[in-house]
Amino acid sequence: MPAVTTMPALDPQESAARRRAWWPARRTVLAYGLLAPAFAAVVFLIAYPLYLALAVSFREGRTMNLARLDRLPVGWGNYARVFDDPALWSAFARSAVYVGGAIVPAFVIGLLLALLLNRVFPGRRWLRSVMMLPWAVPGVVVSIAFLWLFDGSYGVVNSLLRRVGVLDEGIAWFARQDTAMLAVVVPTVWKAFPFFALTALAAMQAIPLALYEAARIDGAGALAQHRYVTWPGIRGPMLLALILNALWALKELDIVYVTTGGGPAGATETLALRIYFEAFQYFRLGSASALGLMLMVLCAVLVLLALPRLRQRFF
Amino acid sequence: MQRSPVGTTVLATLIAAFILFPVYWMVVTSLLPTDIVLSRDPPLLPPLSAISLQAYADVFERKPLLTWLVNTLFVTLGSVAVALVISTLAGYSLSRFRTRGQQTAGFVLLLSKMLPPTLIVIPFFIMFTSFGLIDSLFGLMLANAAVGVPFASWLMKGFFDGIPYELEQAAMIDGCSELGAMRRIAVPLCRPGIAASAVYLGIVAWADFVFARTLVSQPANWVLTVGLQSFVGEHSVDWAMLMAAGSLSLIPVVILFLLLEPFLVSGMTHGAVAN
Repeated sequence: MPAVTTMPALDPQESAARRRAWWPARRTVLAYGLLAPAFAAVVFLIAYPLYLALAVSFREGRTMNLARLDRLPVGWGNYARVFDDPALWSAFARSAVYVGGAIVPAFVIGLLLALLLNRVFPGRRWLRSVMMLPWAVPGVVVSIAFLWLFDGSYGVVNSLLRRVGVLDEGIAWFARQDTAMLAVVVPTVWKAFPFFALTALAAMQAIPLALYEAARIDGAGALAQHRYVTWPGIRGPMLLALILNALWALKELDIVYVTTGGGPAGATETLALRIYFEAFQYFRLGSASALGLMLMVLCAVLVLLALPRLRQRFF
Repeated sequence: MQRSPVGTTVLATLIAAFILFPVYWMVVTSLLPTDIVLSRDPPLLPPLSAISLQAYADVFERKPLLTWLVNTLFVTLGSVAVALVISTLAGYSLSRFRTRGQQTAGFVLLLSKMLPPTLIVIPFFIMFTSFGLIDSLFGLMLANAAVGVPFASWLMKGFFDGIPYELEQAAMIDGCSELGAMRRIAVPLCRPGIAASAVYLGIVAWADFVFARTLVSQPANWVLTVGLQSFVGEHSVDWAMLMAAGSLSLIPVVILFLLLEPFLVSGMTHGAVAN
């Protein structure tokens, strides 16, 4: 019952009066009543499904008939199988390459763009909007656009590379073992950099101009100003953006699924893709859930790394 | 190292053109006849005389694009409406009252960021099958609404925090009930915030692929993303048609994003993180 107190900003006398009368009860009802739909959504559509995934992860074997799912034997078999499978570790390695390969360039591009957009110039508002657009483009649309750009026969990228003399013959970027990973990383960078740019830009605009002035008076050049004023001001938010974007890339399915489907010969089969195939191609819902929960633990480790900063933001 | 503002504009324009090239190329391809599209060295600037809307006519005629569009609109609008109502109420409660909800909200938000869609779709598939919601647009709408609620609630809390509580207190002194003060004062003042949340939810729901690919199988219930993906599996992809469908599916996204973008920079300054 005493879970509800009034806003800290309220006049203490007034809140004391409220606590005495029938007010608090009513406010409690209202406070929780307004939260109830969200609570129901979270319980039925996030908490219960998570519990179900955990329960299913202990069901060994495969079935296409969901009604028979609870007749499958119970045990640690899925986890043992998943850990013994060398394919897991190569999927893990591919995920690491995919996430690192996409997030690091996206970070650098985002940071440089933010430095550019932080200047005052005519047309800035529109150019900024236009540059940030890739963030909003659906993953599937990104995928088909890049499939076409990097097409082996008629792709414009091959044509341009031939024209400047880098290539003699066109490359089927998404279909070759040695280029497929690069080919799925590029659209991922394209979709990921605006988030870094927006984060950096927002943080830069919150840095007081007086700091730059003080630095100038102390004789700091442009580079030194970036090093000692801009960077300390944006470091925190950028670290958080790095974690959030890494989480996103780790879970990302759309781009890899649509462009290569994990191929050729598994060259781009990341953890997220592997989970999906286990579940909906081989109908091993148990081991797919086990894998999925492990991916979630991996995400949790990333979050724990950034916890001090997240605590500031979210708690 | 002072560069002239106009020089910066030129540089930024060049970079913007480079960034947008994939979208530009998609639109250009959709507007050109096949013999120009399928050439080894296509012209970067389309010959204006060759431009035609044939690919758009073709894709509407040969593919159920209209069905996909209507389905996507239904799922997007429905899930935005549901998630928006739920998260406006929750956001108000989180902003104005101190409850256990506040302690849990941050945790739930983090949890939702860590939750892989490929994992959550497995129990969704099991649950929806047993409730008869599989292969139904209504089920798809629910799934999309559910994943949007945690972040949208957090966003709405931030917006309500920006509106002084004194305004509602004044209304209550004048005889308004607490709920009435919320309905008459806080929610109307929060309209820009509600709009921004709606746009955000809309962009996310419009882009959904994992749920739509898994929870729905009948072609009559396909949404745009699933339809677009179905082109790729074909033996020879009809690029002009695919790019036409892709360009069309991008129009609402571009409009919504241009509305949302100014808010993104200022919103992030105030501590909301959208990803």
